[in-house]
Amino acid sequence: MYLRSLHLRQFRNYLDQRVEFNAPKTILVGNNAQGKSNLLEAVELLSTLRSHRTTRDRDLILNGAAIAQITGQVERTIGSIELAMTLRNSSRRTVAINGEILRRQLDFLGLLNVVEFSSLDLDLVRGGPEQRRTWLDSLLIQLEPVYAYILQQYNQVLRQRNALLKRSLAGEARSQEPTENSELKTQNPAPLLPELALWDAQLAAAGTRLIRRRARVVQRLVPLAANWHRAISGSTEELEVRYAPNVATQEDDPEVVRQAFLEKIQERAIAEKYQGTTLVGPHRDEVEFTINGAFARQYGSQGQQRTLVLALKLAELKLIEDVIGDPPLLLLDDVLAELDLNRQNQLLEAIQDRYQTLITTTHLGAFDAQWLHSSQILTVKAGQVFAGNGIEDRV
Amino acid sequence: MATVYTRPLARLIEQLQHLPGIGPKSAQRLALHILKRPEDEVKALAMALMEAKQQVGYCSVCFHLSAEPVCEICRDPNRNSNIICVVADSRDVIALEKTREYRGKYHVLGGLISPMDGIGPDQLHIQPLVRRVSQQKIEEVIIAISPSVEGETTTLYVGHLLKPFTKVTRIAFGLPMGGDLEYADEVTLARALEGRRELD
Repeated sequence: MYLRSLHLRQFRNYLDQRVEFNAPKTILVGNNAQGKSNLLEAVELLSTLRSHRTTRDRDLILNGAAIAQITGQVERTIGSIELAMTLRNSSRRTVAINGEILRRQLDFLGLLNVVEFSSLDLDLVRGGPEQRRTWLDSLLIQLEPVYAYILQQYNQVLRQRNALLKRSLAGEARSQEPTENSELKTQNPAPLLPELALWDAQLAAAGTRLIRRRARVVQRLVPLAANWHRAISGSTEELEVRYAPNVATQEDDPEVVRQAFLEKIQERAIAEKYQGTTLVGPHRDEVEFTINGAFARQYGSQGQQRTLVLALKLAELKLIEDVIGDPPLLLLDDVLAELDLNRQNQLLEAIQDRYQTLITTTHLGAFDAQWLHSSQILTVKAGQVFAGNGIEDRV
Repeated sequence: MATVYTRPLARLIEQLQHLPGIGPKSAQRLALHILKRPEDEVKALAMALMEAKQQVGYCSVCFHLSAEPVCEICRDPNRNSNIICVVADSRDVIALEKTREYRGKYHVLGGLISPMDGIGPDQLHIQPLVRRVSQQKIEEVIIAISPSVEGETTTLYVGHLLKPFTKVTRIAFGLPMGGDLEYADEVTLARALEGRRELD
């Protein structure tokens, strides 16, 4: 797929800006806080309906304006479509395809697929397990839209179960007082069905679906990522990606996973009671990366970790292309300059002209000459976009 | 604020704003409208509010809203008292009654199990339901609770308690009538697939 043009009206610091993308690679150059990332954010919104920077539409609207509009012309193998999003200060946003407003925003998803790679992703290996789960979840949402619903359901069950555990923790403390305890026992016979068992069942049911879908996507990603890592490292390193679910089973049968889930809840029942929080489930999953058999998180050098993240992102591109049947866009936000020339070249070779790429940077100096020659260069300054690399020639 | 509205008007707007779905602008519109109406009409409104609050309570059998100790539905001899439909809220009774398709009795739980809001089974009218079902000759209990996380949990709980006494069913979830298959979202379609049944 190819994003032909973008039109931003009263969006962030853009008043009214049209941008035509006339090369497979576009480099947006400019100082900090000029609007480079805002432009990528607009593309992200058209793709996922979400921004990783804010959850409030009000933040996306130019100061003093009431509405903002993002319009993108996308070419896909099946034809050309116009995606439009209108954000409002005081009411709900609307989305439209080819000028027709959609009743369900879910239908907007999956028309423009993107893979984002920002400097934050460099922490994917070093950071906490939560970052790796978030990464896995957002990939899954692009591949299987229903996953968004399952994830939301699981999180809701988890919140309810945690609230119940916390409440009984507080109640337990109270019933330590002897008088109240004996009174309770005589008045209320034991309940027929403990309330917690209900939430156990719900947690296991929703959790099983998450675990199996996560396992499946990692399985598909593993060979792709290993290949890229081998290529970038010059065949000196062997990457392994392993999904380490909190509830682990040998078999991928839903009933087996669900039973294992319930058994593990039983095993940890006492610990959960004392900690007042849910200790079992996919919210405690981990994804492990090893390079030549050593854990990348502890033992990988910074260079190795960067190679790894790059390999993962390239694998994501390929996986989305395989599933969707159309190559997705690649958004490189302030990250390229942090890769050395060798890795830049590997990335260049990998994407060639196959994946349309939007790149933001503050300096063109760190780029390989090859990159610059084959790219469209735009300068972003105070919410305006100019062709070329601006006033001073930095090449 | 104090400089914009005279004190009693400000109080009225403030009170109206507590109503669901009423924001500051709607509250102001309603308040100004009330001030323009003749005094009798405003008095009637105030009386209606007070009387409704004082007289409407819960039916002692099914916990539906009722001005009598036992509601009209529970007293109606023409309704089938061997079938009970379990719902979360009085609003659901009203919705089901509008269909005029159901001729059994009801039981209103008064909410859904939600530990986050401090609502456990003991806060709902579940024990009276168990008593009703265990002490009377009930042929079927139909659970009509929406399939949210809390709804599912409540359904599971109520179902478990009632199964020893009678047949327990739940309403089907799936495509809306007149809705096109291709316009249904994936989640609804998946749900509809789960609830498929054999052709008669």
